[in-house]
Amino acid sequence: MAEMEVRILQQIIEASTAGELEHVRIKYLGRKGEISALLKNIGNLAPEQRPAFGAAVNALRNKVSEMIASRKDELDREALEQSLLRDAIDVSLPGEYFEVGGLHPLTKSLREITSILSGMGFTVYESRETETDEMNFVKLNIAQGHPARDMQETFYLTETTLMRTHTSPGQIRGMLALEGRLPVRFIVPGRVYRRDPTDASHHPVFFQVEGLAIDVDVTFKQLRGVISTLMNRFFGQDVRIRLRPSYFPFTEPSCEVDISCVFCRGEGCSVCGGSGYLEVAGAGMVHPQVLLNGGYDPDKVSGFAFGFGLDRLAMLKYGIDDIRLLYGNDKRFLSQFRGL
Amino acid sequence: MRVPWTWLNEYVDLPWDPQEAAHRLAMAGINVEELTHEKLGVSSVVSAKILDVKPHPRNPGQKIGLLDTGTERLQIVSGAPGFKQGNITLVAKPGATLPGGLTIELKEIDGVASQGMAVCTNELLTGQPPRPFEDIILLPPGTALGIPAGELFELDDWVMELDLTVNYSHCLGILGIAIEAAALAKRSLKLPEVLARWNWADTHGSQKPEPDHKGDPEFKIDLPQPEFCPRYVGKVIEDVRFAYSPVNMERRLLLAGQRPLNLIVDVTNYVMLETGQPLHAFDADQIKGKTIIVRSSSPGERVVTLDDVDRELPENTILITDASGPIGIAGVMGGKATEITEATRKVLIESAYFDPLTVRLGSQKLKLRTEAALRFEKGVDPTAQAAIAERAATLIADLSGGTPVPGYAETNYLDVEPKRIVLHMRIVERLLGTKFSPETCKNILEGINFQVEDMRTHTEDASVSVVVPPRRVDIHGEVDLVEEVARHYGYDNLGTGDLSRAVPGGITDPGLLHVEKIRDLLASHGGLECVTNSLVNPEDLASLGWDPDDPRGNPVRLQHPLSSEESVLRTSLLPGLVKVASSNTRSGIQGLFAWEIGRVFFPSQELLPVETRQIGLVSYGVLRPKTWLGGQEESGFYRMKGVIDSLMSLLGVADVKYLPKAGMPFHPGRSAKIVANMSTIGEIGDLHPVCLKRLDLPMSVTACWLSLEGLLSMVTPAESVAPSRFMPVERDLAVIVPEDVSGGEVIDSISKTGRHLVAVTLFDVWKKPPVPEGYKSLAFRLVYQPQDRTLTEEELAEDRDRIMDKLRQDYKAVLRS
Ligand SMILES: [Zn+2]
Repeated sequence: MAEMEVRILQQIIEASTAGELEHVRIKYLGRKGEISALLKNIGNLAPEQRPAFGAAVNALRNKVSEMIASRKDELDREALEQSLLRDAIDVSLPGEYFEVGGLHPLTKSLREITSILSGMGFTVYESRETETDEMNFVKLNIAQGHPARDMQETFYLTETTLMRTHTSPGQIRGMLALEGRLPVRFIVPGRVYRRDPTDASHHPVFFQVEGLAIDVDVTFKQLRGVISTLMNRFFGQDVRIRLRPSYFPFTEPSCEVDISCVFCRGEGCSVCGGSGYLEVAGAGMVHPQVLLNGGYDPDKVSGFAFGFGLDRLAMLKYGIDDIRLLYGNDKRFLSQFRGL
Repeated sequence: MRVPWTWLNEYVDLPWDPQEAAHRLAMAGINVEELTHEKLGVSSVVSAKILDVKPHPRNPGQKIGLLDTGTERLQIVSGAPGFKQGNITLVAKPGATLPGGLTIELKEIDGVASQGMAVCTNELLTGQPPRPFEDIILLPPGTALGIPAGELFELDDWVMELDLTVNYSHCLGILGIAIEAAALAKRSLKLPEVLARWNWADTHGSQKPEPDHKGDPEFKIDLPQPEFCPRYVGKVIEDVRFAYSPVNMERRLLLAGQRPLNLIVDVTNYVMLETGQPLHAFDADQIKGKTIIVRSSSPGERVVTLDDVDRELPENTILITDASGPIGIAGVMGGKATEITEATRKVLIESAYFDPLTVRLGSQKLKLRTEAALRFEKGVDPTAQAAIAERAATLIADLSGGTPVPGYAETNYLDVEPKRIVLHMRIVERLLGTKFSPETCKNILEGINFQVEDMRTHTEDASVSVVVPPRRVDIHGEVDLVEEVARHYGYDNLGTGDLSRAVPGGITDPGLLHVEKIRDLLASHGGLECVTNSLVNPEDLASLGWDPDDPRGNPVRLQHPLSSEESVLRTSLLPGLVKVASSNTRSGIQGLFAWEIGRVFFPSQELLPVETRQIGLVSYGVLRPKTWLGGQEESGFYRMKGVIDSLMSLLGVADVKYLPKAGMPFHPGRSAKIVANMSTIGEIGDLHPVCLKRLDLPMSVTACWLSLEGLLSMVTPAESVAPSRFMPVERDLAVIVPEDVSGGEVIDSISKTGRHLVAVTLFDVWKKPPVPEGYKSLAFRLVYQPQDRTLTEEELAEDRDRIMDKLRQDYKAVLRS
């Protein structure tokens, strides 16, 4: 029987397909198989030997069935593996093509600015692009004949109406809409218009983002804090802020906002003209008369305002050196901004 | 304004190099745009004594001199009157260079060798030949010999080019900048004696009495319109003779951007650059009637100005006139008839105060933006006229030997009250966020010429009371003083802080939030966002077929556009987007889907135009190239319509209808009006072939515009219904209808007639056999899903019959078997 066991196991291992294995199974375990045949000889044994013989045959039968089952698993696995191999695809071929669009770099930049300032409590107020002389100038302390009008070449529509030259009239409209409620904290993004011929850094239509904060305790110090956070987050690097005294009739004190150059980190390069600084905004404390014009009492509240050139920020962030690219709408240019 | 470094340092010894000074000034608000080292390029020009002079043998106009440079002796030929024995002059030796690359060689003059050249100021500073009556440079007796010109004069210098903000009129004179610089450097000022007497820059401001007015100037000043000219001082100088200015004065004027003319005119310019007060010099003998009348122009009056232009004067121009008529344009430019010439013996220096706005408007109308006008229009010190005239007279007398007549011809209606302002420390702290002591403020303000009259140090009411120097016409109130303190303390020394009150921010206007979602949707559907110019060409509107009777053909116009291409406000996003399509085709781009969201403008009865927002889309060509997986995807009506469908479902705008045929610029058979809730909110279609041709577009272009305001008014938020627990059932339904039946109506009809339908999808349109000519087959997949059960076969058949009855009745439809 031991000799038989060795033979059977040998045949099980040698079976290389499910059919061959079935053949082995029938040959030994089938009703007429060789193991069943062993029992036919049991009558020839002495009665006291019979139980032991029966147990040995059963043990052999069990062992063989186990072996067959395990060999079957093995053969099934092999067959599956082979069939999977046959189904294999060339994963290096290109995937299905989806044409993805994208947002304009100005929109992307504005969204980031909006999101950063949102975290500091600023809401968004959209103001009109055609304006009255009164709102664009007079209410901002720039009376008729004021030399500051030279700073902003204006497209007039009529004697008294014009294309806004800055987003600052949005300060007045936004304040009036709030009817004296505090705190005032909003930004005014949008197009502005200047009578400047187009070149690499000028376009008659461009974008600004105005910011205004008014409360019982708003200070110049806070202005620096807000601008600093905005610039650091927007450029994703440590940016030094430098405030230079300047003049805007609607703020006092007024300043220009310089940031350490985001290309050379202040070392000096061609973008910053070697100075290590880039001018990015005008800002200041809201002039008392402007607060009054917006319906707020300068004896009770104070405020700051800032105005960033959105085009300039987008150009610095994305390394664009010619403003005309922003308005050229070339697919090859716009497609570059589909990513983050 | 250009500021020569040595000139600035005449009034204050700055402890800095020019770079550091430029930085300090910029950080105090005096914006130095550029700092340049101006080198004249003069070499081998040295002082030399004329030892001996003898006549030229052949040319009586020339002399032959022997000159000693200390180390060598040179024979030099010159015809200048000052070429006399004993004089010390400047000589350009052979090999010397002069400005403009001029080189001096050994040469012969009428047969006599000249080892160089004795030079005049014009040759030294510009390399140009002597001007009429110009002599060689004569140096003071005792000047050492062989000294290079560069050591004798300020030939090489640094120049700061300032770009001043309009409020900094007090820095339109170099003295004003010196006051700022002295305060920043904590150095004292050194003033010209006559100005020191007037105490112009003293901490007491200009409140002290001006120089005395005794004397008999013989001229009468008449100011009939004091609102335009309230103050006019005339200072007379007699016995002047014609001369050119000293080398250093000419050099400073050149560096500052003024062309030297003659000593008298140069002095008026020099003193203007020094003090900021424009002056004018008249040949006093040419002033008719010994009277000056300052009045506004009458119609048709003319004057020939110094630049030799005969000008017709716009009405209400302020004129300087004498008994004969106009002799100058007040605050802008003098007249030819009374200009200083070689023959001038008596001079009247005008030092006046003109109304800033009047000068500004006048100079703008005349397009004469002179240095004088730029200063007057920003406001000069209204108290300084006499002192500054005196300064000019003294300089002229010192330099050319004229005799100032004591006193002034003056008329004055100005009574300048000293401006007093109290600066409270609590206001300083409230605005800046930093505590300041009254002492600090006092020191800063005194440093820049404010007179501190009182100081309170009690904490509750700490303050300083100041008198504003009258030259500071930009200071009106307490906040202006806060800025003065802050900028001299240093903006960057004020520290940083955070907004104190925490409030929620972000986009709160739902409309603005929706707009951002629309942007994302359009981008995710393959659209590239554009930003096009909102100033457009009226011809572009006409090219799209919009006549003036179409609101879109009747735009708001700019009064003074830069060009006709950008002369009107867009009435639609389409002109810009169509241009985007055409510029991209010209760059060889095979396909494009682009969009923009922006404002469009229409004239209105109100003061301001109507502004409304639009969404615009444009596409052409191959949007998805053929790949190994499938064919290419092309731009077209249905693709863009699909994007609009997505947009409508985003916004929850239901019941959108596409009615055939939009107007221009669309193809009449391939376009639709988009109607929702009974109102037209946009148009979509392929462009009309006529437009394509006009715009030189080589292929079919599809476009769409939507009224954003219209869409936003129809936004319906999504509502949720629990999904049915029962399996949906799908059934296909194919019908044959006459070809002209609108497929959209059939879909609508099925959706409305069928019961428990959750989707009706058109999956096939067939117009060829076996479908008979003039008919089309439409195949739909219907999805049924009631909430409460699964439909039985009988119910489904019933529904199909109901639908078919309706379609048969309305569209003569038959079931396709
Ligand atoms: Zn740099």
